[in-house]
Amino acid sequence: MSILETKGLAHDFGGLQVLCGVDLRVEQGERHAIIGPNGAGKTTLFNIITGTYRPSAGKVYFKGRDVTGLAPHALSRLGIGRSFQITSTFGRLTAFQNIRLAVLARRGIRFNALRSIDAMDDVTKETDAVLARINLGAERDRAASALSYGKHRALEISLALASDQELVLLDEFAAGMSRDETHDAVELIRRLTEGRTVVLIEHDMDAVFSLADRITVLHRGEILATGTPAEIRANEAVKEAYLGEMEF
Amino acid sequence: MSATQRRLACVVTAFALAAIPPLFGPYYTNLFLTFAIFSVFSVSLNLLLGYTGLFSFGHAMFFGTGAYATALALKHVSGLPLLAAVGIGVAAAALLALVLCPIVVRVSGTAFAMLHLAFSQMMYVLALKLHNITGGEDGIGNFPIPALTIPGVGSVPMKDEPANFYYFAIALLALSLWLMWFFTRTPLGQVQLAIRENARRTDYLGFRVAQTKAVIYVFAAANAGVAGSLYGLFHDLVSADGALGALVSFAPIINIMIGGIGTFLGPVLGTAIFELIEELASRYTEHVELVIGLLLVVVIMYAPMGVLGVARMLRQKWRRDAPAAGALQKTS
Repeated sequence: MSILETKGLAHDFGGLQVLCGVDLRVEQGERHAIIGPNGAGKTTLFNIITGTYRPSAGKVYFKGRDVTGLAPHALSRLGIGRSFQITSTFGRLTAFQNIRLAVLARRGIRFNALRSIDAMDDVTKETDAVLARINLGAERDRAASALSYGKHRALEISLALASDQELVLLDEFAAGMSRDETHDAVELIRRLTEGRTVVLIEHDMDAVFSLADRITVLHRGEILATGTPAEIRANEAVKEAYLGEMEF
Repeated sequence: MSATQRRLACVVTAFALAAIPPLFGPYYTNLFLTFAIFSVFSVSLNLLLGYTGLFSFGHAMFFGTGAYATALALKHVSGLPLLAAVGIGVAAAALLALVLCPIVVRVSGTAFAMLHLAFSQMMYVLALKLHNITGGEDGIGNFPIPALTIPGVGSVPMKDEPANFYYFAIALLALSLWLMWFFTRTPLGQVQLAIRENARRTDYLGFRVAQTKAVIYVFAAANAGVAGSLYGLFHDLVSADGALGALVSFAPIINIMIGGIGTFLGPVLGTAIFELIEELASRYTEHVELVIGLLLVVVIMYAPMGVLGVARMLRQKWRRDAPAAGALQKTS
């Protein structure tokens, strides 16, 4: 059984058809990249899967269960997490506080107002362990908005990964990163997503081809092709629609 | 601050608070109690404004509901114990918040602010119009103030005993302040900050934003109810203008802005400055609002983060300069 499946997913914004009948299948444990030119509907697809929008037509199944139209927090509790293309952290909170929120979410501590959070040593320990793993130990007490771009992006991605979801959707994790930063981010993702299922949208083809087990090409709201990186590279239709314009 | 230091600070504060009536006499004791009541009221608004990012123009409705409920209970129920009367005030404020929260937690920003202005003005007009319940413009005055009875210990009279009432009120206000302080340090207090910073991301992490806001909202309202209830008992008079008017809603906003938004003790400091200036200005002029207004203009223009914000900036500047000064000394 696929961990994530969409059937006939369609969406339009006031008459503008963004997705028309997308059937996506993501298998357990794979890293699945979604590529395609700007305006192909990639982020809209993510937004429907994670509950931002309800699709005009079609269904989303997570582990065989119909989750179409559930709210983001409900999907998050089922095991779907995501990161954002435009960095979306808790700006004035420290890196530590940011990650600690993800740790609290993972442990299901959501409405506790009876215990001091500083007394929760296991939460503190786990948060510090995550910070060390993502090389943010030195920036522990700095506000998220004061971090360097690369570190801030790492925090953005880690917010999605620290909550330990079964399925993580990463929306252009390398957006705006330098070559070195992208390289570091790829290594980080490889390390942190061991044994988990990841769907990622990415424009950086080096990152895509080094990370992805399978690739789906989206073009004008439809799936053009799905396959292994080698298959996609060899696909004539894909070359014509998308890859042809890029040097790789 | 270490735990020992904190405990020491608590003991010193407790002694200082206890020493006020014998040292300063009834006039200043009452002035201080007014300050303490409005401090708790301001901190309760700051839970919404500074900690959750919810701007309310109508926080007075919880203050007023607390005051009216306590006064009405004492007027109509004979033999009601003092603590029960306060409890009724707090419960009424919390209940009002519970009724409103399905509507207000769905909005934020300007909509939240204006919705509260509308609801609180509605409460104000109701208090004026429902003459046979609320006494209209005259309000409810001269209701009985029962003695504080502790079973097995005895009973402490409160009527015309300003020092006794001061101790009773200060203890409850301190408890309310401590509860709110503790709240900000719990996991829920962290989620509160997360909502202020980025409600969408909070949702995606799996927290229920609306429900979390509702819990905070009711908690803040209950604490405003504590302040309102004690305010009613303190004056033995509850009126629409004194407890529900728009100015009552604006006072804590001004206190928070003067003291420093988003810091726990900022609103307390702001209330102290506000009360002090009001007290001093009223000795020289009838136009106290003019003085407060000018002060507010200065704060907004030059210290938008309030007095504590300025203090923090100066401390950071001093820290930055300190090593440089040390280096200079070495070379000379």
